[in-house]
Amino acid sequence: MVLGLQHFDDPVGDENGGPRLDSDAGEELMLVERGVAIALGSRPPDSPGTLYITTRRVIWLSDTDKGNGYAVDFLSVCLHAVSRDPEAYSLPCIYTQIETEGGDNEESESSDSESHGDLELSNVTEMRLIPSDPGQLDTLFGIFCQCAELNPEPQEEEEENSWFFGNEEMADDGSDSEWQLSEHHANPIGYANGDHDLACTVHELRINDQRFEDAEEVESASRNGHQFSG
Amino acid sequence: MSTHLDLLSPLLQLFFSYFKELVGKEVTVELKNDLAIRGTLHSVDQYLNIKLENIRVVDQDKYPHMLSVRNCFIRGSVVRYVQLPPDGVDIDILHDATRREARGG
Repeated sequence: MVLGLQHFDDPVGDENGGPRLDSDAGEELMLVERGVAIALGSRPPDSPGTLYITTRRVIWLSDTDKGNGYAVDFLSVCLHAVSRDPEAYSLPCIYTQIETEGGDNEESESSDSESHGDLELSNVTEMRLIPSDPGQLDTLFGIFCQCAELNPEPQEEEEENSWFFGNEEMADDGSDSEWQLSEHHANPIGYANGDHDLACTVHELRINDQRFEDAEEVESASRNGHQFSG
Repeated sequence: MSTHLDLLSPLLQLFFSYFKELVGKEVTVELKNDLAIRGTLHSVDQYLNIKLENIRVVDQDKYPHMLSVRNCFIRGSVVRYVQLPPDGVDIDILHDATRREARGG
């Protein structure tokens, strides 16, 4: 998966001019909304187009310029919100923040959008969708929520370690795996990497139990000793 | 506990059941891009996606346009911290949950 916003230039997929979907992967159309303008970053809105919300991504295609379109996976949409306050934005819109590959790129993004006509899409961290009918905002918001929930993070297998250690910095650290090998007992109980380590933990607990029993015997023996001497 | 939840990491389950108790309370959600949003917790799902209402941005100079968004959906995977209201922290429940967690389930 590619993070961030992309140009959408797939050929038209159906007779109504809709985008070609990845139906092999189960992608389905959830909502089509005509007359939606899009504003990327701090740029003024593009001329109206049609918004396609699918089970996997958000696609916007220009009505006037057929080659002009954008797509973003729901996996890259950090947050979405309904913005109605004119002080926040001049037009009622769905406000979204987009996760990009480069991380924090806000400064370069705003300067790019000023100096180049064609801004770096991979740096765009904000997108606004402005429906011509503001009454549609709540519906759009609801569909966005549904689709976001359809796209949980695919982290179960490949990102297991970074999840346990809790932050990216450690996952990027080359010594990470070494550290695990030498000190894997430091893993929180129940979060060890597989059943083997869990079994070890249980085994150790049993050893501890035996030690406890031994200690008691020694203690009672010494208590007896006291009695003898007293 | 539903069977659906059993498929998820125990840690997610722990947070999920804990955050559910905080619905209706005021929390501050800090995202991995440093944006911090304060609002009323409307709902949370099993992926820790968070819906806030009546939000305001803590650092208003940096994000002036997000001053007064009515409702907001935050993707669970981009959340760095959730700051809890002092009266929303039930120490006993947290202790109990973490102890159970430490025993491995």
